[in-house]
Order: sequence, then C-alpha cells, then structure tokens
Amino acid sequence: MSGGEALKTQAWLDGELPPAEAAAIARLVNNDAAARDLSTELRQTTAALAVGEPVRPVPESREFYWSKIERAIRAAEDSRPSASRPAWWRSLARWLVPAGFTAALAVWVASPYLHQRQQGSWVSGAEIESPLNDVGSFTFRSEAERMTVVWISTY
Amino acid sequence: MSNEPAYPSLADDLLVREAREGNMQAFEELVARHRDKLYARAFSMVRNEEEAIDLSQEGWVKGWQRLRQFKGGSSFLTWMTRIVINLCLDHLRKQKRPHAVSIEQMDEETGGVERQMPIVVNDPTEGLTREELRQRIDGAMAKLTDAHRAVLILHEFEGLEYKEVAKRMGCSIGTIMSRLFYARRRLAALLADVRKERQT
Repeated sequence: MSGGEALKTQAWLDGELPPAEAAAIARLVNNDAAARDLSTELRQTTAALAVGEPVRPVPESREFYWSKIERAIRAAEDSRPSASRPAWWRSLARWLVPAGFTAALAVWVASPYLHQRQQGSWVSGAEIESPLNDVGSFTFRSEAERMTVVWISTY
Repeated sequence: MSNEPAYPSLADDLLVREAREGNMQAFEELVARHRDKLYARAFSMVRNEEEAIDLSQEGWVKGWQRLRQFKGGSSFLTWMTRIVINLCLDHLRKQKRPHAVSIEQMDEETGGVERQMPIVVNDPTEGLTREELRQRIDGAMAKLTDAHRAVLILHEFEGLEYKEVAKRMGCSIGTIMSRLFYARRRLAALLADVRKERQT
C-alpha cells in the first residue's frame, strides 16, 4: 500500500473522499490486508477520541477569573472613548469639526478688513472701558503712536 | 423585591441578548457557565495552565467586543470556542521557537515515520473505563507536537472538515491530511504502549 493510498484510506473513513475514489478505496480495504489493518487502527483511534478529553475546571475562583476579564474589558473601552459615544454624536462631530475650522479660517481672513472699518469710529487717544464687567479689561488705542494697549485685571 | 432577572435560570440566547445591550452581569453568567469548557480547550491546545487561563480570558474579552457579530448560526459556546481556538493558534504560531528539531519531528512534517510504525490491530482501549480512557488520551495528546495536536483537536473534537482545518491553520489540505494521519497513528502507538505497560 502506497503513502497516497494510506492517506486516501483515512480520507475515505472521514467521509472526505469523492464518490469515484471512495469505491476504489473500499475495494482496496476489502482485498488488501495492510489496508484493512490500517483502516481498523484508524477507526479504533477515532472511536477512542470520541470519548473526549478529561474534565478540566479553571484553577481559579469564579470571582477572580471574572475580575480579570472585566478589568480588561473596561480598560479597552476606556482607551477608545470616541467609540463609546453615541452614533448621533459621532456623525454630528464629523460635520462640526470641519465647519468650525472653516469658520475660524473665514474670521482670520476677514479680520484686516473688519479692523480697518472699526478704526474710523475710534477716537484717537481715547480710553475705552470694556463693556463686559466680568472680563475686567481696558483697551487704549493711540493712533498717533499706532499702538493698542489692552489692560486685563483680575478681581 | 428586585426586578433583576435571575441570570442562572436564563438560556444562553437571552443572556447574549442582554449582554449585547451592555449588561455585564448577563455576560458574567455566560462566562461562569462556559469558562471550564473554554479553559479545557485552550489547555488541550497549548498544554500550559497559565497560558490557557490567559488565552481563555482574552477570548472572553474578544467575545464581549464582538457580541454584535454573533448571529446565532451556531451555539454561543461553539462561537466562543472558535474565538479561543484562533487565539491559541496565533499564540502557537508566535511561540514557534527556533529550537533544534529532532529527526523524528522532521519526519513528522515530511511524512515517513508513520508508515514505518507497526499497525495496532488489537484495540488498545479495551477494558478501560471512560475516565481512564480520557486520561490515557490526554497523556498521549501531550506527547504530540503542537501542530499535530491542533489538527487532531480541530478535526476530532471540533468536527471541522479538512478544508476548514487547513484554512484555520494556514496550510494546504495535503499537509492537514498528512499531519492528521501521523497524529492518529502516533496516538494509536502511544495508547498501545500504555496497554503493554498495564499488562506487564
């Protein structure tokens, strides 16, 4: 019996051989003593394995075993904060971030023009009190010196 | 009175449904219910207690993270077992030490030794109780190489077909057939040795 025939005998027993080849191997097992003995041994081994493995309990308590799993789950979730946010928040953020960036860019580009328009109404050398009481800041603009001073005080 | 469901009395599919909603208590019940089987499978693959604990726990973490992918096509235990087996196979691949390979092991890979082994015609398991047989099989499995043991576990215990075993182990069907053949023949020889020892 060749090595190929031995492997085919095994495949035949496992039901993995195409029907055309299965008939030839069945004949071989019937007529050849070595093939018959091999098929007997393979059958016995498969039957023995069907009994299964020994019962092997986890050598740790239920609480301790679970505590490690729980810790790993929480650690993985903490390391991915964005994934835990709701889907509506994630889709909103997808639009808000570029929109915010575009708005900031627009303000930056337009700031010289806005600054120019505001200059006309400013009184040279005047002291301007901040309208926001809680900010606590004063702005002083001197057109002669071409300078603006901002005084910020904390209360 | 508490409205909390009695988790131990719930079936797996109900616990899975609860766990999918983020209920960790339900998932803990699933872990408690199946942890021994998954640990035993990991142990049979890697033959090391600590590694088997770590791999089975890693499997549970992955199971939690992928719960939404579980469609119920198989039982929850079968699904979890596949996760743990894949982790064990990855672990064995990474662990592949560049140690000196014995001539016998080289022959195991190329095929040859198994054809020279005498055929065991007398049933070596005759007269053994089921528990004795399980212990003998366990001892014999420990003597196989990782690759041969893995093929045997996937085919005999997990009931996977050759092509599925080949896919999981990343090798050809021919290699799987050859490894399975060697593993079975070696197992038969080891069981026969045990029988001889008992008789003397």
